Amino acid sequence: MSESLARFDGITYRYPGAASPSLAGLDLEIEPGLTLVVGGSGGGKSTLLRLLNGLVPQFHGGRISGSARVDGLDPMRTPIRRLALSIGLVFQDVETQSVYGTVEREVAFGLENAAVPRAQMHDRVDEVLAGLSIGHLRGRRLTTLSGGERQRVQLAAVLALRPRIVALDEPTSQLDPEGAEAVLAACRGLARDGRAVVVAEHRLETLLPAADRVLLVEGGRVSPTTREALRGSATTRPRRSAVTAEIAWEMRDLAAGPAGPRAPAVLQGVSLAGVAGEVVALTGPNGSGKTTLLRTLAGLLPPTAGTVRRPDGRTAYLPQNPGALLHLPTVRAEVELTLRRTGARGSADAMLAAFGLAGLHDRYPRNLSSGERQRAALAATLAGSPSLVLLDEPTRGMDAAARRSLVAAVRSLTEGGSAVVLATHDTELATELADRTISLGDGRAVEVATAATPAVTPAATSAATAPDAPR
Amino acid sequence: MSRERAPSSGAPGLAPRAWFIWSVAAVTVALSTDNPIYRGLVALAALNVLLTWLPPGRRVRPLGLVLLFAAGIAALINLLAGHTGADVIARLPGDWPLVGGALTLESLVFGGVLGLGLAAALLAVAPLSLVLEPHDVVDAMPGPLERTGIAVATSLNLVSGFGRTFTEVGDAQRMRGWKPRGLRSWNEVLVPVVLTAIEDSVMLAESMEARGFGAGRRTSYARATLRRRDVAVAASAAGAAVLFVGLRLAGVAVDWYPYPTLYLPPINPVLVAGCLALALPSLARPAAPVPARRGP
Repeated sequence: MSESLARFDGITYRYPGAASPSLAGLDLEIEPGLTLVVGGSGGGKSTLLRLLNGLVPQFHGGRISGSARVDGLDPMRTPIRRLALSIGLVFQDVETQSVYGTVEREVAFGLENAAVPRAQMHDRVDEVLAGLSIGHLRGRRLTTLSGGERQRVQLAAVLALRPRIVALDEPTSQLDPEGAEAVLAACRGLARDGRAVVVAEHRLETLLPAADRVLLVEGGRVSPTTREALRGSATTRPRRSAVTAEIAWEMRDLAAGPAGPRAPAVLQGVSLAGVAGEVVALTGPNGSGKTTLLRTLAGLLPPTAGTVRRPDGRTAYLPQNPGALLHLPTVRAEVELTLRRTGARGSADAMLAAFGLAGLHDRYPRNLSSGERQRAALAATLAGSPSLVLLDEPTRGMDAAARRSLVAAVRSLTEGGSAVVLATHDTELATELADRTISLGDGRAVEVATAATPAVTPAATSAATAPDAPR
Repeated sequence: MSRERAPSSGAPGLAPRAWFIWSVAAVTVALSTDNPIYRGLVALAALNVLLTWLPPGRRVRPLGLVLLFAAGIAALINLLAGHTGADVIARLPGDWPLVGGALTLESLVFGGVLGLGLAAALLAVAPLSLVLEPHDVVDAMPGPLERTGIAVATSLNLVSGFGRTFTEVGDAQRMRGWKPRGLRSWNEVLVPVVLTAIEDSVMLAESMEARGFGAGRRTSYARATLRRRDVAVAASAAGAAVLFVGLRLAGVAVDWYPYPTLYLPPINPVLVAGCLALALPSLARPAAPVPARRGP
């Protein structure tokens, strides 16, 4: 039997002011190898990871009972500074966890805190950058990196301290498929090296086959589960939307950049169109212009060149960080605000129910888990039958239940005649929902063929991709 | 074999520690005198240094707007609340609290000089955020202030996220039917932006804790080395600060007080030279990009 690197006995933890515990009766041993932590939003996955390195309860406060040992240390009493040498934690949002501005210094930050001698620091930075195959990024500014590169830099920053346990909280939720694969390959490599790697993740397709064990966290309860049980919840076959012949939106010879006409354009000569009742998925690596295209189509960003046409009626737009827009005291108030402001007919209750928020309607949105908050933002954004719906990475941080709500809501909208354009790295979502998939890259847009959505135009088509009629 | 490689820097050619000493000295000079000539010279020297060293892609316009706003507010407050001086330019009803009474030219000018001092001080510290990288700010601080440097560096990192959130939230609220109508309507954008900034700060604090930041001894990744150019900049700036503070302590007039009537500020050539010494970093800029500082 493998050596246990962490052990929890009867742990029950409650955040300050929380009505119910976030972890209840936790009995768990963590051994070397890859441990996959799955479960719905708000179930306690992030709390479990924070318990490993002492942030719970030392940083967050609250009440805890039971006993724990992590690499021989008591995580409830050992200073987090000391625990950082044994357990490294990489957080979900790469943009809010950077201290310095460059790769090299960011990786060295933990070593400085651990008072590692300067000469050793340089060796360790070299070693960890090489180990993750990102040595070429050494002198780069973090803001110039893709999401996958940044996530690997954050992983390098904790690995530089040579921890025996590495925990990652939804490391691929914001990454394109290539970036996600690179991060997950690094996780698999660490597990092979004898470390305990604990990954909380919703995107299971790549990690599940490599996992040595799988933990299901729901309602604060942690229990082992099997890969087979999770495979049973595989996505359903795509169902086509109610596509009509009416052109709903169109852009011709579009040039646009993220900062408007002042900055270089990331889209050049793009011509696209979509019809009512159709779902168009935009894919492409980080920085390829997906958000720029959506914002231009929404009318939020003036194009540098070309024209944009939108349908009559309301355009709904969900930004990448939708939780940021929530500010009212309850989830219901957020939905009602949109209905009132847009003069739309519709029921707040129906929207709340559609996104599984009926039981959370009177909760303060900012106190919800990231997945629940995402659903609240979706309900607030999509309320009131918009004629054009623009979604920027709508499944970021979403669990399976929330994804199902999203898919159902989008289908309901398209059946009502809405045109939907969604930018996503989530290939499963694109396959499940999209009538057409447009790949962006090098400033151009190319329609791609997938198993579910054969291309209307040849895959090698030029920038112009405008369907004249539905399929 | 252990190797030591100097980290890349956003400001090759001048050591972070030299920048820190220059900034502290320039702020000291700007705030140690009320003479508008000296304050103006410090502001011009600092502006020249900033524009000379400003890296491509970084904008100075937002800072300019902040400076104008701050200086304007200082002048306005002093005009409305001063009520001292011989040259009355207007009167507000005496029963108006605080602002009621005579508004004088002297109060307006002195308020402007206060604003000029504020602008000069802000320009003096501007290179720490606009020229240096966040890690340079940490390297610039003396050991006891290193943690302060990290706090400053992380705050600077959050600024770009703040701007991005402002755009995102503004976009999203606009698409939900929000329109800017008066100050109160901006609550729908500003409240979520501020809440998000607070959440991001907590997240960053968690990340720093998880990587061992806190009490205890630290080491530094970069070796603090001062070359001749750095020493010249630091010494000249420190000399200017010592000159102003020393003359003030010695009782030599370095100030200007425009009450009860305006008069031209005195000019001391030695003090003018001290102010001009603060422009030395402009001359220390290499003609062509130089390689990053390298350790032994």
